[in-house]
Amino acid sequence: MSPQLTLQTPLKLPSEEIPVYLEKLWTNDQPGNIGANTFCLLIWQPAWLEQQLVRTGRIKGPVIGSQRKGLINAARKVVLEENLPPSTSPFDSKVTETISKETGSFLAEDLRGQHIDSAISALQPRRFITLAPTIEPNKKLETLVAAYCPLPEEGGGQSACGDVVVLKGGLDSLLEGLEILDSLTLKDLPSWLWWNGSLDQASKLLDQLASPPRRLVIDTALGHPDRCFAFLTQRILQGQAVNDLNWLRLRSWRETLAIVFDPPSRRNALKNVVQLDIDIEDSHPVQGLLLAAWLADRLDWDFQKLVSLDGDGIGAEFFRPDGTSVHFRLMPLPVANPSDHPGQIVGIRLISKSSTNPSDALCVILGAESGECMRLEAGGMANMELLEEVVPIQKTTVEMDVARLLASSRGSTSPLLASAAPLAAKLYSYSKSFT
Amino acid sequence: MNMPITNPLRVGLRQERVISPQCLVVFGASGDLTHRKLIPALFELFNQRRLPSEFAVLGCARRKWTDEEFRRKMAIAIGPIASENQNSWDQFASGLFYQPLDLDKDNDVFLLKKRLEDIDRLRATHGNRTFYLSVSPDFYGTACRSLSLAGLLDDPKRSRLVIEKPFGRDFASALALNRLVQGFANESQVFRIDHYLGKETVQNILVMRFANTIFEPIWNRNYISSVQITAAETVGVEERAGYYESSGALRDMVQNHLTQMLALTAMEPPGHFDPEAIRNEKAKVLQAARLADEMEPWNCCVRGQYCKGGTDSMPLAGYREEPGVNPNSTTETYVAMKLFIDNWRWQGVPFYVRTGKRLAKRISEVVLTFREAPVHLFDAVGGSPTSNQLVLRIQPNEGAEFRFDVKSPGSGMRSRPVEMEFSYEESFGEPSDEGYVRLLADAMLGDPTLFTRNDEVEAAWRLYTPLLELIEDSPWQLPICQYESRTWGPAAADALIAQDELIWRRP
Repeated sequence: MSPQLTLQTPLKLPSEEIPVYLEKLWTNDQPGNIGANTFCLLIWQPAWLEQQLVRTGRIKGPVIGSQRKGLINAARKVVLEENLPPSTSPFDSKVTETISKETGSFLAEDLRGQHIDSAISALQPRRFITLAPTIEPNKKLETLVAAYCPLPEEGGGQSACGDVVVLKGGLDSLLEGLEILDSLTLKDLPSWLWWNGSLDQASKLLDQLASPPRRLVIDTALGHPDRCFAFLTQRILQGQAVNDLNWLRLRSWRETLAIVFDPPSRRNALKNVVQLDIDIEDSHPVQGLLLAAWLADRLDWDFQKLVSLDGDGIGAEFFRPDGTSVHFRLMPLPVANPSDHPGQIVGIRLISKSSTNPSDALCVILGAESGECMRLEAGGMANMELLEEVVPIQKTTVEMDVARLLASSRGSTSPLLASAAPLAAKLYSYSKSFT
Repeated sequence: MNMPITNPLRVGLRQERVISPQCLVVFGASGDLTHRKLIPALFELFNQRRLPSEFAVLGCARRKWTDEEFRRKMAIAIGPIASENQNSWDQFASGLFYQPLDLDKDNDVFLLKKRLEDIDRLRATHGNRTFYLSVSPDFYGTACRSLSLAGLLDDPKRSRLVIEKPFGRDFASALALNRLVQGFANESQVFRIDHYLGKETVQNILVMRFANTIFEPIWNRNYISSVQITAAETVGVEERAGYYESSGALRDMVQNHLTQMLALTAMEPPGHFDPEAIRNEKAKVLQAARLADEMEPWNCCVRGQYCKGGTDSMPLAGYREEPGVNPNSTTETYVAMKLFIDNWRWQGVPFYVRTGKRLAKRISEVVLTFREAPVHLFDAVGGSPTSNQLVLRIQPNEGAEFRFDVKSPGSGMRSRPVEMEFSYEESFGEPSDEGYVRLLADAMLGDPTLFTRNDEVEAAWRLYTPLLELIEDSPWQLPICQYESRTWGPAAADALIAQDELIWRRP
């Protein structure tokens, strides 16, 4: 599915006129039509990397805000050319920082907010509000508005089902323009905020926009782990609906682990786990810790203490319900061809040994399709039943993941994430104080 | 050693689609189906957290029950399912309501409308409604007309109509019923339920065929020599004599459940997994299907009726001795037939379909028998080489098996058949949802993939029209063959398949 533009050329209007214009649009131009009874989606769409790549002429415009292949390839090229560590993922903030120092003044059309991925447009959002900060900090606020409808093959019909509002400009001018947001909120419909950028940036704006009852979509792979964990756990504690794309990307690992233990004959091994190793790309530990915390939660392990490890890893000891220790290690690995998102899991090893029947030992090794897990395969498993599986790479775009959340969420935080995140955050904060 | 009942890592992995706020209105709520299937299925969906909090069930029937009575009766009827999860049941039951209703009375229908509006306010169900017609087919027309008159079917996006089988008695009545229903509702609002399509293993036919590359290239007349579709029951007519006497095995099982299995087995691959794409292909293959001998259907069909059997300690009554059955009944409890599908994929491949009550085993399966190797290089241990067979087990012991030859150990080069098995139980270890859970959820989601479209229903009836006419006009040409209870049916059915030098698979 290719992204689509709004069917109507967006109209440039002063921000204060937008609510009135929309009111008129629905009452005069679409009499009897009140639009789709779906949801309102507010997107923070900085696209810093894309804007910088366009400005320096590394890719051509227009700026659309979606994570297309050409953009990812260009970012990977920056990593190589600018001698950044090879493990640097294309969406690591270091890449954007590096090219922001380069000269260049290429211009391109900015279509952020008008270029809606069809995975999302197929869900017929009733209102689509995009906040599009520009890399020129002093740029004045520009507001655009258009009626909108998905293409007929995506379930759309002839009449409009929603509208699009774009607020574009420097960060300060955007903050000023936020005043109209309240009048654009549709009280009867669920409202989502998709923070499509690092959690480190524009924190004031984030706090302002991410107020309950808005449902949040964030990505804890983007931003300092401290900030990511703090934001995630705070919102969970407050009872606000928060969805994490970094957690969502764990699904193929969780699914593969579940498949391994689906046959009833293997279920007992889950009660006898003695060791868990997780290897991650580079040093962003959030995803790896979330997976460990999820397993600990599902298997009723109690966190006992941090354990010192050689290198940059995080080690911990858990107690199983029967009082036996489970040793956990999270190791960052340098990789030559990192995933698109920082800190993705490379491999998992789970060792299970029965205390009553030592010959009943099982070693499960899951490796990412994109890499190898030689470190986890090394030594010590000769007397165990060895089960190795390759975890497929998810070929979904971030927009498809967001669409999936919008379509399937009950408007609340996943109970599994809600259980796992506080423990993952605890492991992380202890590990920092430990070192 | 205690086995954990469920895989703790599997919990919460499925990203289910969210059912939008709505009210499910069940007509015939005092009937069996409501407490046997619908309420347990809805309670299961509730426990799986798949129902939104803005949800309600409004039971409607002629009896003058109150909401409380309805809740109490449902709790009693579903027994331990409710009492063992009392908190959960109490929450669920708070969304159960009841409205006495006589569909023939206009005023009752307007009271229904008002009640629905009240429920919308009380439960925030936003005017989204699914009407479930769990009533006699004689009332389908009245129900649709009443709902339409009250304006309750006006918005196709907000109102859906679920219709239970039987959908017609023959092609003409199905056609008339379709026209009647479509006079009041768009086809996109109509969900004709066939609970067989709710079975995991029936849906698995599609996945086996179209998610793997190894099957589809050989899934045709070049490699497959015959197909058998069986739905065997060990039970007799039980308490359904009244209905069964006027229906028989052909209408009760073949026209709907077995024909749906046939369609899924034989259809062409759809371009994409889309309800209309799938239903188009199913309709097309049913339109290409025919009785092996339409002119003289008695040559390709056998009807049977179970007679007494069992053991001395546990004797089983014959069909004609069952309560409520005419002692001279000519209703078939068994039917076997041979069909062809006239298209490029299946031309000349016989499809054998059989179903019966009081057979030796309860089993439903699809068996694809492949052609023999063109040259027999090896001696077969069993005397003659066996054909490869792929068996899709619908129930019980859900799964699949593939039979192929291997070298028998020892000196020499003798071949013998072995079986490669996949079992849902061994691989997944957890029971699948009951068919109604899936189908109710899909209907409320507005997903018609697993529901039969009007042209499918019509094509299915048309397929059996020569047979129905024969039974109607000259039944003596297709006599009822008696078979002993708990056997595999009448000998004539064996003779039917033996004409092609085949035998029925004995599972």
